[in-house]
Amino acid sequence: MEIMKEERVLLPERQYRLVKALADMEGRAEASRLAEAVGRKQSDIMRDLAELESKNLVKVLRVKIWHVCLSPDGRRYLKEGLPEERLLKIVKARREFPSVKELAEACGLSRNEFAAAFGRLRKYGVVKVVSGKVIYSGDGVEKLLSDIRRTRELLGNISECIHVRELPEWVAELKRRGMVEVTESRVVEVEATETLRELLEAGRVSEAPLITRITSEVIVSGKWKGAILKEFDLSIEVPVKYPSRKHPYVEFLNHVREVVESMGFVEAKGPHVETALWNFDVLFVPQYHPARRESDVYFVAGETVGVVPSDVLERTREVHERVWKYRWDPREALKLVLRTHTTPVSMRTIYSRKEGEYRVYSLDRVFRPDTPDPTHLMEFHQLEGIIVGKHVTFKHLLGFFKEFAKRLGLGEVRFRPAYFPFTEPSVEGYIKHPKLGWIEVFPGGMFRPEVLYAVGLKNHNVAAWGIGIDRIAMMVLNMNDIRNLYTNDVDIIRSTPLPKEVMR
Amino acid sequence: MPIVEVSLTDLQRLAKKNISSEELLKALELMKGEVEEVSGDSIVFEASHDRPDLFSAEGLGRALRYLLGVEEPPSTPPVSEDTAKLRIVNPPRYRPYAYVSIVKGVELDDEAIRQLFQLQEKLHATYCRDRALVSIGLYDLDKVKPPIIYTSVSDGRYVPLGYSEEMSLKEILEKTEKGVKYAHLVKEGEYPLLTDSEGQVLSFPPILNAEWNKVTPETKNVIIDVTGTEPHLMMRVLNVVTYAVLERGYGKALIMRAKVIGGAPDNPYPTTPHLEGKLFSVHVEDVESLLGLRVSTEDIPVLLKRMGYAVTSITSDGVKVWVPPYRVDVHGVVDIIEDLAISYGYNELPTETLPPTHFSGRSSIERLTRIIRDIMVGLGFNEVVNFMLIDPDILKLATDEPFVTVANPKMKTYSALRNCMLASILIAGKVNSEKMGEVEVFEVGDYVIPKQHDAESVRGMAFLLMGDKYTLTDGLVTAKSVALTLGLEYRFEPYEGKPYIRGRAAKVFLNDVEVGRVGEVHPEVLVELGLTKPVVAGEFNLTKILREIIERK
Repeated sequence: MEIMKEERVLLPERQYRLVKALADMEGRAEASRLAEAVGRKQSDIMRDLAELESKNLVKVLRVKIWHVCLSPDGRRYLKEGLPEERLLKIVKARREFPSVKELAEACGLSRNEFAAAFGRLRKYGVVKVVSGKVIYSGDGVEKLLSDIRRTRELLGNISECIHVRELPEWVAELKRRGMVEVTESRVVEVEATETLRELLEAGRVSEAPLITRITSEVIVSGKWKGAILKEFDLSIEVPVKYPSRKHPYVEFLNHVREVVESMGFVEAKGPHVETALWNFDVLFVPQYHPARRESDVYFVAGETVGVVPSDVLERTREVHERVWKYRWDPREALKLVLRTHTTPVSMRTIYSRKEGEYRVYSLDRVFRPDTPDPTHLMEFHQLEGIIVGKHVTFKHLLGFFKEFAKRLGLGEVRFRPAYFPFTEPSVEGYIKHPKLGWIEVFPGGMFRPEVLYAVGLKNHNVAAWGIGIDRIAMMVLNMNDIRNLYTNDVDIIRSTPLPKEVMR
Repeated sequence: MPIVEVSLTDLQRLAKKNISSEELLKALELMKGEVEEVSGDSIVFEASHDRPDLFSAEGLGRALRYLLGVEEPPSTPPVSEDTAKLRIVNPPRYRPYAYVSIVKGVELDDEAIRQLFQLQEKLHATYCRDRALVSIGLYDLDKVKPPIIYTSVSDGRYVPLGYSEEMSLKEILEKTEKGVKYAHLVKEGEYPLLTDSEGQVLSFPPILNAEWNKVTPETKNVIIDVTGTEPHLMMRVLNVVTYAVLERGYGKALIMRAKVIGGAPDNPYPTTPHLEGKLFSVHVEDVESLLGLRVSTEDIPVLLKRMGYAVTSITSDGVKVWVPPYRVDVHGVVDIIEDLAISYGYNELPTETLPPTHFSGRSSIERLTRIIRDIMVGLGFNEVVNFMLIDPDILKLATDEPFVTVANPKMKTYSALRNCMLASILIAGKVNSEKMGEVEVFEVGDYVIPKQHDAESVRGMAFLLMGDKYTLTDGLVTAKSVALTLGLEYRFEPYEGKPYIRGRAAKVFLNDVEVGRVGEVHPEVLVELGLTKPVVAGEFNLTKILREIIERK
């Protein structure tokens, strides 16, 4: 929010003191000095400065500063004399040395110091090297001394350290000779804007209390008037709070129930432990069919023998022996199994309701021997449905799949021929998975006449489907591991957002 | 479903057309085959269980000929006039039936033999129920001296297929791989045996054939046998194999039938194979009432011939169709209409969405479930889900009541059906105990109570509070909140029993009906489960609340 010059500006106490201090420092100061002036650390005032800047009262600048400081050598030279100064004394005293090496040894300078000092003496012509001997000539001594004076002066000026925004040229020479160390840093500088200067001049800036938390006392006392209500910084991360959650998979299942009900279906329930008769025989699955093997069905342990309606048993026997032509064994049919699909629920429904126009669904668990892994479970949900009627045909089944996919947000449906022992024609509906391509999700068909005969339905057609809903659930809930659908792990439940398919 | 491997070049020869692999993949879709892998000349697909005629290249090639219009399906089987004989003399009582058929004039090579072998294997594994019901054998007719004899013996000797030395039948059962695998199908002292008229052993069914009479690339005439316990199933299998071998004549082979002499008086097939096929009338009305598709009597023959049906006549309201004997999946008109729909194209069929005509509805138990879940989440519990299949040892920790056990579990962890919700919620407590200081979870689900003749599915809700701060009071508060929200009167009475501490557990009555229990779980149980924090838990029988309180009100 920018402040107009005509306004009266209310500032919280600390910001008010900051602009006052800034004005005292002629409108420009390092943030650290400003902080000192208000008795704070620099880090404490940065938020205030940012707020003042957002109101266009100050400009916050980040400036580069060079720090030039005497090195230990520099400090020593200042005290003991520069190396060339000391070398001059020695050559001046002895006048001649048999070799450079002897001079170097005699002078007591370090190798580098000697090299630099000797170079300077030669440069000004103070010494000459004649056939290996070093000879003092006395020339150029004045020039050398003036050079030494200048260097001493520069070092003296630095004293310990100087802080500059621009690096002077002479620093480079001293640095090369190891007399100074140069570092850089950045400092924050604050500059009053034109607006602030004018507002201050006009006396339009004043101090107001800052309120961070509004209490009932603040409201009742009227303190909020003339106070500044602190603005919140939305960029700061807030803590996480998990709501108690309904299980996302159960929510999805209920969403599916709603979708199916919106298409005119009534829910039915049936037992998880079934007789083989309802699970297989009524469905025209011959007793030697591989789907009835121990590797594909959980059988109930023990000697319990199921009880079934005698008319269903008799008609089932008759139709198996007439069409499949084998010795049908009622004992096999009365075995108890964990239902492998929810189709027995449809069978029981048709048996009890018989002729009529109705649509029934069920959505519950079924069981098939398996070892759990990311794509397999020994227990899963099936969405089962039947459309019963005199004029129900295959096209209504296909139409159901298309509409159901649309309502679940699954997109286009393609159909392929399929085989199920109890339906003819049979179909498998495919939808397009974002990663896996076309996947089969909608198996169904028209119940065979042999099946309808067994449960005693006359002159009617039944369109039926039994969808393994978990695959669709994984797609909608964006899960890669089917075991996570059935999770009891609160972490997974909490971190699974409800998808838009379920929310809309 | 059987996985079948075929060679494209072999298929081209059988189909009499240079089909591309793309054409083949399209055609397979119409035959309910799922392509698994295409690499070079080899195509692997999963065949549909109901189409054993497509378990090898022969049947697939034949189907392709009709589908692609290379040939029209014939309306009679290619049978030769002469017949052979099969004598059944004192057959094993437990495997009394045997049939043979002969195909004359085939041209075999390694690929053809491989395919016929594959067909035999896939049939054995599926329809024949691993040879228990039917066993198939193929031999070179010209090496044997007819008639063939099916009998039973106490022992015998021959060189089994794939071996070089003679073995006794007992040795075969002990020493050969197939002998060991299928020994349980035969009875000692009453071994089934197929021989020729000179007593040479053709086969020891359902175990192993002989080496001397095996089918080779030089074989011109093939004899096929099936032995077993189910005559009609055997005949379906025999028809499928006979027609497959017939394909290896590339149009020139003929089937020779055999008369069955002797054997069971109830034998339904005096002459084999049984090649009558089936005749059906398919009416335009039948098609419309099943598919919702109106086709003309002119369209039906075109659509059906592609699928391998011979149309024998066209009437004003439909057609008459001959179903060849190898189509063992066709039982009635609906099966033919499905093929008609496939021929028409599933994605070209009309579709129609029926508008709702009746009031829809949720089952009352699901409605109550929804209300209970709302209450529990409102009280701050997280909902979890567990499996109904559970470790019986955990059930025994939670209750003394009987439960349903699975006879053939894959893992002990999932070998019983839960008979309460409490055991499940204890598992959830364990899973989450390390992750958070306090755990408040619930689950609504079904459990199963064994009864005299079946097992009853019950809807229940269990909850769990885990942490140092909880006592029985918190459990009672939960129960009371549920009662008050449902508008029911509540009452608590002391409860003694698993898995709670005596004196720190209660029965919960709603409107004077006992519907559940709440209690502090006994430390002994907690230690057994590997839990280190105190647990207050409870369970409600929602089915009972619905039936005895809500629906009775």
